[in-house]
Amino acid sequence: MSELQELPDDPGAVKLPDADGRVPVRIDVNGRARTLRVRTTQTLLDALREQLRLQGARSGCGVGMCGACTVLLDGRAASGCLTLAAVCDGTDVRTVEGLEDPSGELSRVQEAFLRHRAFQCSYCTPGFVLALEALLAVDPSPDEAAIREAFSGHICRCGSYSRIMAAALEVAGATDRREQA
Amino acid sequence: MSTPAFFFPRSVAEAVDVMDSYDGAAKLVAGGTALTLMVQQRLVSPQALVSLRDVPGLGEVLVDEDSGLLRIGALVTHAAAARHPLVRRHAPLLADSLAVVGNAQVRSAATVGGVLAEADYASDPPATLRALDAEVAAHGLAGERTIGVGELLLGFYQTALAPAEVVTEVRVPVLPAGTGSAYLKYTSRSHEDRPCVGVAAIVGLADDGSCADLRVAVGAACDAPLRLGDVEQQIRGRRLDGATLSEFADAYADRIDPVSDVRGSAWYRREMVRVWVRRAIEQALLRSGAHEHSKERAQ
Ligand SMILES: Cc1cc2nc3c(=O)[nH]c(=O)nc-3n(C[C@H](O)[C@H](O)[C@H](O)COP(=O)(O)OP(=O)(O)OC[C@H]3O[C@@H](n4cnc5c(N)ncnc54)[C@H](O)[C@@H]3O)c2cc1C
Ligand code: FES
Ligand code: FES
Repeated sequence: MSELQELPDDPGAVKLPDADGRVPVRIDVNGRARTLRVRTTQTLLDALREQLRLQGARSGCGVGMCGACTVLLDGRAASGCLTLAAVCDGTDVRTVEGLEDPSGELSRVQEAFLRHRAFQCSYCTPGFVLALEALLAVDPSPDEAAIREAFSGHICRCGSYSRIMAAALEVAGATDRREQA
Repeated sequence: MSTPAFFFPRSVAEAVDVMDSYDGAAKLVAGGTALTLMVQQRLVSPQALVSLRDVPGLGEVLVDEDSGLLRIGALVTHAAAARHPLVRRHAPLLADSLAVVGNAQVRSAATVGGVLAEADYASDPPATLRALDAEVAAHGLAGERTIGVGELLLGFYQTALAPAEVVTEVRVPVLPAGTGSAYLKYTSRSHEDRPCVGVAAIVGLADDGSCADLRVAVGAACDAPLRLGDVEQQIRGRRLDGATLSEFADAYADRIDPVSDVRGSAWYRREMVRVWVRRAIEQALLRSGAHEHSKERAQ
């Protein structure tokens, strides 16, 4: 507590850890307001998996290179392992669990991945799906180069890349056709 | 072990105050791409984390006509700067070097202030900023000062920043029309890898085709981006033919003190510097106004 006395009068929003070393963080997760108690060194990935038991975002490399931990953070694809949970206070987070609509219908990206069997073990799938969802939100009919760019931080250890691209191109093309009609 | 306190200051001054109150034991968080991993791997154990997220005014890109400076806010992400029309127009090689960093997710979080403050030798943008003679504006207890990128980057993960100093802006002198420039990233293991060697080259030719301006910075090969001002100086006024370029590239290769790491041994890096310095200048020449001009004449 000694630091506290020396703090300036208004240090902005400050979160001092409680006895367990945790701070409260409010995040909108898949459309539901949640308050989590996280350690300030904890990653968003860890908080989602451990505190909220949302295990769609996976830990692969843990260092920002594989994309398995991808979530949508205020709509953009973000690596959960490169993001501190505390920084996400006040943000909107979407995981693969939040893609289906209330009636349980899968998103069209998810449907396309299923149709194309765009996975083998599926460890990487939520990451690829969310990367494509984020891209489609800003570019409804991306070309192949844009899709490759969005997938640049995603590794599929099973090598399902050609099926993943086929699924992605189908979704991108389908949007294209609908817009032309 | 106690976990750090977490701050969201709402101004640069507040951020400086909080940093100061922890006397070197606090860490700023910008994009968090480097900091999160350092904290996870316990390479740093700060008593406080100070997020710049809610500090307004650090996310702008503009050109100051009076000073001729392209000004990029410290919190502008690599992705945003790389696609920004002003950056593409006035410092195209900077846009290129930001666009080849890591992967899309890293680029959409990592900031231009963060990459400089981190001073990781295995980075792309610092070499282009060094070649461009860029400066940073930094706010500390004594107010604002500007620091040239060459003076800022002191060595491996070492900068001239004080513990309570916040980089607020990167300032890049805009390139004169007709200047050719290029950033070439050489990766030795995979496409998304950090650079083994990165070379930024800027070249301006006089009307008679001789070299009026040549600036080359080599990144990722040694502790901080390397520029050889005397070698650059000696080449001015000469024609940039093959022999001259080789001589120039040899000078960089011979004088650099390369690191050995997983991306290449010191010996290998020296040879790659020889190759890539030359290629970067050749690429810059292809993009220079003089070249465009001679193409027009040939048609
Ligand atoms: C998977 C992966 C791949 C990568 N590949 C590449 C690559 O190919 N090429 C490349 O160049 N880089 C690469 N990087 C590095 C990446 O570019 C840096 O991590 C990033 O630029 C750091 O910026 P940031 O905003 O995330 O900084 P942060 O992680 O937020 O901060 C980094 C450091 O700078 C300090 N800091 C941040 N902002 C300021 C400020 N405004 N003033 C003072 N201090 C500040 C922080 O306290 C911290 O010490 C890669 C990173 C990852 C995770
Ligand atoms: S676990 Fe986050 S990118 Fe691999
Ligand atoms: S399906 Fe196994 S990693 Fe992609």
